[in-house]
Amino acid sequence: MNSRLKNVIVTCSMALLLFLLSLSCYLKKADDYSFAERRELSSLPQLTLDTVLSGTFMKEFETYAADQFPLRDSFRSLKSTVSLKVLGELDSHQLYLEDGYLVKMEYPRKEEMIQASVDHFRSLYDTYLSGKEMQIYFAAVPDKNYYLASEHGALSMDYEQLFSDLENQLPFAQHIDLTGVLTIDDYYRTDSHWRQERLTDMAAFLLETMGVSQTADYTLHHLEEPFYGVYSGQLGLSVEPDTLSYLTSPVLDACTVISYASGGPEDAKLYDLEKASGKDPYDLFLSGAQPLLVIENPLADTDRELILFRDSFGSSLAPLLAEGYARITIVDTRYVSARLLGELISFGDQDVLFLYSTTMLNSGISFRW
Amino acid sequence: MVFSSLTFLFYFLPIVLLIYYVVPFRFKNGVLLAASLFFYGWGEPKYLLVMAVAITSGYFFGLLIGRFRTHRCGRYLLALSVACFLFLLGFFKYTDFLIRNLNQLTGWSLPLLHIALPVGISFYTFQLLSYTIDVYRGDTKAQSDFLSFAAYAAMFPQLIAGPIIRYTDVSGQLKKRTHSLERTSLGCRRFVLGLAKKVLLADVLGEFCQIHLASHDLSVLFYWLYAAANMLQIYFDFSGYSDMAIGLGLLFGFDFPENFRYPFCAKSITDFWRRWHITLGKWFRDYVYIPMGGNRVSKMAWLRNLLVVWFLTGLWHGASWNFVLWGCLFGLILPLEKCFLRKFLDHCRILNHVYVLLIVSLSFVLFQSADLSEAYTHFRCMFGAGKLPMVSAEFWYYLRNYAMLLILAVIGATPLPSRLMHQIRCTKKGEAILNLAEPVVLLLLFLLATAYLVDGTFHPFLYFRF
Repeated sequence: MNSRLKNVIVTCSMALLLFLLSLSCYLKKADDYSFAERRELSSLPQLTLDTVLSGTFMKEFETYAADQFPLRDSFRSLKSTVSLKVLGELDSHQLYLEDGYLVKMEYPRKEEMIQASVDHFRSLYDTYLSGKEMQIYFAAVPDKNYYLASEHGALSMDYEQLFSDLENQLPFAQHIDLTGVLTIDDYYRTDSHWRQERLTDMAAFLLETMGVSQTADYTLHHLEEPFYGVYSGQLGLSVEPDTLSYLTSPVLDACTVISYASGGPEDAKLYDLEKASGKDPYDLFLSGAQPLLVIENPLADTDRELILFRDSFGSSLAPLLAEGYARITIVDTRYVSARLLGELISFGDQDVLFLYSTTMLNSGISFRW
Repeated sequence: MVFSSLTFLFYFLPIVLLIYYVVPFRFKNGVLLAASLFFYGWGEPKYLLVMAVAITSGYFFGLLIGRFRTHRCGRYLLALSVACFLFLLGFFKYTDFLIRNLNQLTGWSLPLLHIALPVGISFYTFQLLSYTIDVYRGDTKAQSDFLSFAAYAAMFPQLIAGPIIRYTDVSGQLKKRTHSLERTSLGCRRFVLGLAKKVLLADVLGEFCQIHLASHDLSVLFYWLYAAANMLQIYFDFSGYSDMAIGLGLLFGFDFPENFRYPFCAKSITDFWRRWHITLGKWFRDYVYIPMGGNRVSKMAWLRNLLVVWFLTGLWHGASWNFVLWGCLFGLILPLEKCFLRKFLDHCRILNHVYVLLIVSLSFVLFQSADLSEAYTHFRCMFGAGKLPMVSAEFWYYLRNYAMLLILAVIGATPLPSRLMHQIRCTKKGEAILNLAEPVVLLLLFLLATAYLVDGTFHPFLYFRF
């Protein structure tokens, strides 16, 4: 190829690429939501004299241009592939791939965030639990980095220190160590959460530790739709999807679920199959984010009750705990103000379990006080 | 707006190129001016007026100085124009710095004015200064066509980050310039390479620097790794931006001067400054150093000249003492080098490179520090006085994480790739292969840079604050 032909090809190909992408930018219909990234996308900012003079139009337009860029997911995927597989970077946006698992590098330990959670738990104890005949437990769910960091060579918090600190700072609760009963196989490959169908032993262990007996006989159900967890979209790499499964049993079939999401009591479901095909399929379990739920187990051979303070990990675990209790009250103080709990829950002699993931503890949960 | 943004690449540039190439030549300067005003106004709408005043003043000063340059009043007009431009730069860039220092020195509590720095003011005021001085010196005629003059002064490819284009560099091309397939292709290549340097190297190295600054697991070697990454980041950031400017210049028919020539391969600091931000160095040489007598004066006066030039160079980079100290550091090293070190350095081929890299990396740590106390902490930690371990977990992790990038950056900062290309091009077969590969590589780099821009939000441009 001679130089003139090369110049023709360089000029024409660059012009073609530039103008094609530009045209796509101008003509592409704006999307409201990115399923891959699980977030709302920016819309075209309002063009007014004020927004132009203040510079907010231009600033917001830059975000809009990035959010609405044509083939955005493919470009992000290209970036991740090059940085991880060509440049040999160990993580991309703190996410890495190890043994087929997409893992968030939970690092460094964010002291202020953890302290804020501890303060919140203490406040809940002081306000509602102190002085009552309650058995109180605390369990931290290790994130996937706990299991795979050393294998990948990733940075990780000193988890043992974290668990020990939590134990010291929450002396009112008996600490249940879950690290021994969980393995990396108990988590989804593409999502941050654990897999309910793998938690039966762990649930039995928890119940046993809390002095509750259960003999569950579960039936496993698989959803046909592939489950692309939250990390698959964030990293942008092509990975094999997970399968979303859930467990039922005669006891669980008999359970009723009441939600207080809209203020008053409303019927809800243990497994919301409609949500499984929504933006976040993990919302299958107890319909996702809920401020307050009550699971009643009419077949329980006990009248013991449990109050579960939890994050999203509790959604898939709670049904398995229902086997051992007559009633479980599930509280997520990210969505309900802790001040209102006294009006909604009659605190008495229930068992209480604080169940939070290390990811949540370390990322600064915005609790409602 | 910065070149390495999706808004510039896919919303602004294609439209401007389309209109520019479609209109007849007599309208091209007008298109360029309109595009430049839009480009500048996009980021700084309120400072369009400041730039407009500066350009209009430059135009009229040029005409008046040109008219009266042989009279005594020509000198006064020149002095007035220099004073006006320096006042403009001084007011926006140094007022708060001055107040802060006055308060510290005197114990006063004068309120700060919190004046935001208009983007690119350091570049366009220097261009306007050089224009009026050149007109006074008779090096060029004053431009009578306001549109052409404004198109030069506001020309967006070089408006906010240089290279510092003198009017004499482009005066001919403002009247007549050629657009050819070869120049367009060359412009595309230069622009894409600059974009890749900025987005794929500088920004990623910048991420590492940010990680280091936020780290709680520091170590001595982590600091040295930061110093190396910081030096490379500044180089690829600025030289990448200059490459994009030169590439855009070619697309619009202009030849902009080179601004970098493999500075890390310099054999001395003197050599380094012949290769780093060349247009700024030449500006200070021609408009400050030589008018003060340069080196054709007594040794003491020469030392004074050097110190003044480097003090001003430091101050030009920013209204902060670390920039001033950074400049003065070179003002001291250069005479030392010329008087004592040069003979020694000339004989040590490897040691001279080590010496240059050491001085430059340390100087850039000072340059990038928020203030003198942060710089002091960095230096203490680098030299083992920070009570830090030699290595830490984060050091090993990030060394592994960025190893390939650092290797690529180091190779990219040398003439090795260019020499390799040249050698391959020597044979007919090699040339054919390179001609075939070039469009493919450029397209891939452009797509990859786009992918990085789409994916990330970390694209600061370091020289924006100057």
